[in-house]
Amino acid sequence: MRYDVSHVTEFDYSQPVSISHHLLHLTPRACTFQISHQSRLVIDPAPAVNQAGSDYFGNPTTFIVVQAPHEKLTIRARSLIDVAPVTPPEPAATMPWDQVAAAVRADSSKPMLDIAQFMFVSPFTKAGDEVEDYARESFAPGRPVLDAARDLTKRIFNDFTYDGSATDVSTPVDEAMRLKRGVCQDFAHLQIACLRKLGLPARYVSGYLLTHPPEGKEKLTGADASHAWLSVWCPGHGWVDLDPTNDLIPGDEHITLAWGRDYGDVSPVNGVMVGGGEHEVKVAVDVRPLQSSRQNGRG
Amino acid sequence: MAPLNQSTDVNSPTADEANDRLHKNYEGDDRVYDELVDGHGRIRPHWRTFLAGLATMSDAEIAKAWTSAERLVRDYGVTYNVHGDPSGEDRPWRLDPIPLVIAPAEWRQLEEGLIQRARLLNAILADLYGEQRLLTEGALPPALVFGNNQFLRPVHGIEVPKGIYLHFLAIDLARGPDGRWWVLSDRTQAPVGAGYALENRVIMARTLPELFRDCRVERLAAFFQTFRDDLIGMIASDDPRIVIHSPGPTAETYFEHAYLARYLGLPLVEAADLTVRDQRVFLKTLTGLQPVHMIWRRVEAENYDPLSLQSGGLNGIPGIVEALRAGQVTIVNALGSGLMECDALMNFLPNLSRKLLDEDLMLPQTATWWCGSEDGRSFVLGNMDKLVIRPTFASRSIMQDMPAQVIGANLDADARADLAERIGRHGEDFIGQDLVTLSTAPGWQDGQLQPQPIALRVYLAAHGDSYRVMPGGLTRTSEHPDAQAVFMRQGEASKDTWILTDGPMTAFSRLSQAEQRQAPKRGGQDVPSRAADNLFWLGRYAERMEGGVRLLRALLMRIVGDYADDDATVRAALLDLMVDHGHLAKPTAKRVGGRGSDMSERDLSFLVFDPEAINGIGTLVSNLRRTAASVRERLSGDSWRILQDLQSRIEGYRQQSNHEVDATLHLLSQALRMLAALSGMQMENMTRGFGWRLLDMGRRLERARLLAKLIEGLAGRGGPAEGTALNILLQLADSSITYQTRYLADPQAFLVIDLLLIDDTNPRSVVFQLDRLTDHLAALPRAAEQAGLSDEQQQLNRLQAKIDLADLKELGQAVDRRRERKALIELMAAVESDLGAISDAVTRHYFSHAEPLGRSGPIWLGSAP
Repeated sequence: MRYDVSHVTEFDYSQPVSISHHLLHLTPRACTFQISHQSRLVIDPAPAVNQAGSDYFGNPTTFIVVQAPHEKLTIRARSLIDVAPVTPPEPAATMPWDQVAAAVRADSSKPMLDIAQFMFVSPFTKAGDEVEDYARESFAPGRPVLDAARDLTKRIFNDFTYDGSATDVSTPVDEAMRLKRGVCQDFAHLQIACLRKLGLPARYVSGYLLTHPPEGKEKLTGADASHAWLSVWCPGHGWVDLDPTNDLIPGDEHITLAWGRDYGDVSPVNGVMVGGGEHEVKVAVDVRPLQSSRQNGRG
Repeated sequence: MAPLNQSTDVNSPTADEANDRLHKNYEGDDRVYDELVDGHGRIRPHWRTFLAGLATMSDAEIAKAWTSAERLVRDYGVTYNVHGDPSGEDRPWRLDPIPLVIAPAEWRQLEEGLIQRARLLNAILADLYGEQRLLTEGALPPALVFGNNQFLRPVHGIEVPKGIYLHFLAIDLARGPDGRWWVLSDRTQAPVGAGYALENRVIMARTLPELFRDCRVERLAAFFQTFRDDLIGMIASDDPRIVIHSPGPTAETYFEHAYLARYLGLPLVEAADLTVRDQRVFLKTLTGLQPVHMIWRRVEAENYDPLSLQSGGLNGIPGIVEALRAGQVTIVNALGSGLMECDALMNFLPNLSRKLLDEDLMLPQTATWWCGSEDGRSFVLGNMDKLVIRPTFASRSIMQDMPAQVIGANLDADARADLAERIGRHGEDFIGQDLVTLSTAPGWQDGQLQPQPIALRVYLAAHGDSYRVMPGGLTRTSEHPDAQAVFMRQGEASKDTWILTDGPMTAFSRLSQAEQRQAPKRGGQDVPSRAADNLFWLGRYAERMEGGVRLLRALLMRIVGDYADDDATVRAALLDLMVDHGHLAKPTAKRVGGRGSDMSERDLSFLVFDPEAINGIGTLVSNLRRTAASVRERLSGDSWRILQDLQSRIEGYRQQSNHEVDATLHLLSQALRMLAALSGMQMENMTRGFGWRLLDMGRRLERARLLAKLIEGLAGRGGPAEGTALNILLQLADSSITYQTRYLADPQAFLVIDLLLIDDTNPRSVVFQLDRLTDHLAALPRAAEQAGLSDEQQQLNRLQAKIDLADLKELGQAVDRRRERKALIELMAAVESDLGAISDAVTRHYFSHAEPLGRSGPIWLGSAP
């Protein structure tokens, strides 16, 4: 499936900003099931520093500094991406989860080290015993890892309410657990925290989801949003994506931007400015499939 | 080992006797090593000179020396801010007057082991932030690196100059019963205490000068000089700029930051003073942006760059990681060095030493078991009652409702089972360590020497491709006889550490060395904008406080003193002024002011400490103290002491239960004297750099503003009480004597107005303040592209013209039907508002760099449309 993705972020400051620094994760990374043909960033006003690079996890980054006073900043990202459908492994046929946890600890080879990055607590995935207890309900000893993880995904989908006003960037996993509410980022962090509590590698994925308008309605421009989900490590198959917000294993309607230990590693737009006072932010995301497809989902 | 120094005859009977007097009750514990006496009760040879020297002092002399040491600690303002409370709460540093004495041969041997350890720690960091072969080859478990929040991924792969990650580190040591020094822990992030050690030394050398000389103690100055020179040597620029980066006055060890900045002659900055532009780091100063090449950070690394290194708050310097990546700045110690503070790594060091250095690890270290390995876990579970159990990574508490560390033996059965279960499930998160027995050294307790447990922190600095050890250290001690090593981290007192030398003494003082290297300089140009802002406000607060104290004193005297029968309108005018200046809240003034001489003690304390008033005396003094604290390294010790004293007196008074008028008036007079002394210090002792100018500008501006208000309030109206009002005005403006000597008559309005408004020879006139402001503005740096006068200069010129053009006769005499001097009132109102505008213009021009940071993003999806 080919997509034309546009992601516009607009900051309106109430007072002039004398200098602003932003670290962007807006360029889709290449991976086995995804090719990014074209990716452009247009920033207004033009930044004095515009440095493309890649982070520790191999995600493309852009570091921009606007050094002239400005009251508005617009960051437009546009990419043309091919996403291939992935066939997930048969859950029941995957390795027992406790064996996975033992195997990733025993092996210190280079490829395994890259996986070990994602085994440990990270700033956004700190959690207490309650989360661990919640996780263990899905993980009976010897249960195949993907089978158990898929079950956990379903439980999070069923037990939690999608609520855009219940949480914000500072809400800890434990708090979302108590509220039983949140958005895709909370659900992804929760499941990651669960998996890591059990010693399993799990990584956070930042990206986009193709959404569909209600039957008979036109798709609205800018109505899509960024999305977040996670992957769990399944030996023999590699990383397998799970989307607890929509209770599914992502296929070719999830477009990957970047992955990391949690949101903090890969947030699409992260900025610090001097001055500026209060500010308003507008985000408009459009995911346009260049061939048609159908699937319902929420972001 | 032979006695090192025979300058005192230790065998003479008197010396023996005196010796005996000092340590007759000195009894070590057989199970621990004692620094002073050996297992047979004999004084160890390297202590003999010190002890003999001490013995020549009488009890009274010793007591006097100790008192003087304590006074020096107070005078230097050596403090440890325990609660990080900006308003005070500094705890004085505790210095035990008996140093820890270490023999030269022993020190040399220890040095070798320390240097090896520093090289090893640096080599491990180089690998983990580079190739990570230690992980791929299985020499270190990934959990101890990837699971540690001190492993900073954004700086991985960034090369550091000369491969030095650790420029300055500390190692904590304790001497075991076997007489060997054992490593307790490594401090690689931003180790604390070298400045305190230096300060301890300065105080000891002054307290016991003869003893210090006779003992031939290694000096510390050369170590710091070399450290500074080595840092400068790493910078390619002709005009290298190194700054010391402190979290600010709320930091526990801010005293040390300010002290080291002064001692090394490096600017002390906070994150907000630095900015990254074009991937280079700059210091925001009054003269504009100055490039910074190196930062000695006293700040934890994980919040160092709000862009790359953290996900929450706004501390740190945005973009600094990109500047690092671009090779434009060096951070000391390298970001990410805190990784090596994890005790669980100790277990792996012997093996890593062989692997990386091809050497056996020399120094023994506290036995440590990491429960992430099967062996470690089963050992810890089997020996819980012999161990102390800690979280692997210091930032996590051991269990949700448990302290940061527990001694296994102290746990009850339930807690132990709970902990064991948890270790079984999440072994990686726990370590077990042997309980360390500390050696004892003589401390001064109840007039004699007593054995007290000690731990020693030593410091190393990178030098060439190796390290140098500071010949001394920070010895920490506790009066608690069974203090275990685990609790020594909050050691109760400190000691100087005397490394004796058997070689020639180097007569090295920092100053003499610096003189050889540097041409004379004129300081004061490198004033960070934030410091300038604070100095400006320090001046304003000091003047505002003085004005408030004078007003309050005048009011109290009108209410209850000899002048109490004066016209009520004068009292009302004073109360109005108090309210107008914010020293009193309106309701308080109404309630209290109406009572006149019937005022109760409670009312009186309300007058002084009105909690509702924005500029109450109590509020002003803490503003003053807080502002001063943030520029402490720029103030003389005496100025600082005056401020401390002022605050503690006012605070002490506030806490008294009853407040009498006489005592209150006495306090206010004392406060005035201290403020005058402070102002005198600033006039006489500060170099005329930009910092001083800003401070004085703050004073002048505030004084002119207050004068205008006073003139308006007390001379703006004629009438029967005019004579009294003018008298009070002269007193408040501290110009009574001038007036009386000049005119030998009762005050007349236009003469008073002339003296306080226009007379440019009266340092208390408005025009005098404006003239000084003019001088200062002309001397402050201007951007080269700016032609003509700055905004504030133009405004000031216009204000001066307004006053010049005013007709004194009209100002003084024109009392209209409402008995108001309308022209005067209008002019004073204009002075006030113009001064406000000038202050704003100065702020915009010189302090605007100090704007707050904001975060734009990250964006939580819920908040997006």
